[in-house]
Amino acid sequence: MKATEGMFDESVVYVTKQGTQVRTDEGRIVVWDVDAADDEDPELATYPKEKLDTINVFGGVNFTTPFVAEANEHGIVLNYFTQNGKYRGSFVPEKNTIAEIRRAQYALDYTEELAIAKEMIAAKIRNQRTLLSRKGVHGTDVLKDLGKRARNVSNKDDLRGAEGEAAERYFDRLDETLVSGWTFEKRTKRPPEDHINSLLSLTYTFMKNESMSALRQYNLDPFLGVLHADRHGRPSLALDLEEEFRPIFCDAFVTRLINRGVFTHDDFSKDNHLSDDAFKTYLSKFDGFMQETLTHPHFEYEVSRRKAVRQQAILLRKAITGELTEYHALSFDR
Amino acid sequence: MTKASFRDELVHVSALQEYVYCPRRYYYQRYQDQIGTTYELVDGRSKHAAQSRRGGWTTERYFRSDSLGLHGKIDLIESDRGTLTPIERKRAESGDYYPSDEVQIAAYCMLLEDAIDEAVNVGYIYLYSTDERHAIHITGKHRSAVQTIIDRIRSMSINSIPSFTNNTNKCNGCSAREYCMPAETAQLEPERARGTGWEDHP
Ligand code: SF4
Repeated sequence: MKATEGMFDESVVYVTKQGTQVRTDEGRIVVWDVDAADDEDPELATYPKEKLDTINVFGGVNFTTPFVAEANEHGIVLNYFTQNGKYRGSFVPEKNTIAEIRRAQYALDYTEELAIAKEMIAAKIRNQRTLLSRKGVHGTDVLKDLGKRARNVSNKDDLRGAEGEAAERYFDRLDETLVSGWTFEKRTKRPPEDHINSLLSLTYTFMKNESMSALRQYNLDPFLGVLHADRHGRPSLALDLEEEFRPIFCDAFVTRLINRGVFTHDDFSKDNHLSDDAFKTYLSKFDGFMQETLTHPHFEYEVSRRKAVRQQAILLRKAITGELTEYHALSFDR
Repeated sequence: MTKASFRDELVHVSALQEYVYCPRRYYYQRYQDQIGTTYELVDGRSKHAAQSRRGGWTTERYFRSDSLGLHGKIDLIESDRGTLTPIERKRAESGDYYPSDEVQIAAYCMLLEDAIDEAVNVGYIYLYSTDERHAIHITGKHRSAVQTIIDRIRSMSINSIPSFTNNTNKCNGCSAREYCMPAETAQLEPERARGTGWEDHP
């Protein structure tokens, strides 16, 4: 089978240079360096507006009013982050609310939500095992059993239980795969207690944003989840969708960064955040990682990770609207 | 009944063509706003704008017919000694027009005759790529095809998605393919592709 022509791969843009302005010029989107010296080209990058669907900006970046109008017209989502990657909010174009899709999503009942969530968590656990085995860690039968358990639960609490137990076992073993001087110890959430947790948190945030862009692209409401509880301001469905990608994309990315020595402990500040320069390196590595292709485990053609994430949003939407019978999560058997 | 909702019940001529190309794609467009704009369309549009100022012809006239259940804009109407003839211009890289273009021109003829209350039995398809115009003689077959498609479109519902096309070549040129995922569906849920062109293509 051949992969379909992709528009996805260049569809997300990161703007990190402080003092830049995003504007339009003859139908293209231009990132403009306001502070460019006379002998420098102020045009940092330019994109055809038909291709973009998400622009992530970090810190002091401005949008011109005509650009925002254009973004609205063309369905381009703007996500705002602080300079070191903390999510601040989004501009969401009007077209992102096709009523019929939203209605189908809001009409999901508990059983249907549970069915989708089970697929996601079972795939996550499967992907945890796969990542470990790729790294030469064997003896993961307990994860296999937990994966089975996830498929057989009859309520969301039990599903969360299986998921939590699997995560604990998995991180214990993943620890074995790191070069010396690094350890997962215990996976802690905010504030990140050590450097590797800081990288994981950052990567989960970025993957959540990828999931959010993908869901929005297909008019699903990222704030209404199937497993994560809906809390004000929390993109629960994006977090749900992200689950299956966490081991095989996020954790794999972080261990790669560490094991290849992209970052050393000196790249972190006292509060465990990446320094400014290291953060820029991180961003370009992350974007490169999302554009990297792999052989799709089910469809067997080459796709970028970003495209694979977006296809999952499509498959999720099809499961929600009944176009497909079930949700087909992205799972790698090896 | 308000004017807007009344008009919603009429089928737009462009919908006929979309439907003939692939009912499923038309479904996506109609109910899910899910269709990429192909470059061909964009390009065709700007050519229209450039040419619609030529003198002597009536350009871009809107027609509606409640009895046909149809409405739409006719690109160009030529009048030759009192005979009105609709013209549809196509980019058509292939140098040829498609059956769906014939359906479209037939629909224009029917709209026009409904408006002027006179028979309109000929329309032209003009191809930019060859700079040729082709006369299409509107037959009873054309007319009943138009009517059948209008009926099908009017009886569509959001709850029943049309199956994949059985001409897989169409999928290769389809702007909704990334979303539609015919081959992927055939693989994930083969029963959903049963009886379509994708059945044997997993
Ligand atoms: S991909 Fe094929 S089946 Fe799907 S909408 Fe396009 S032409 Fe129709």
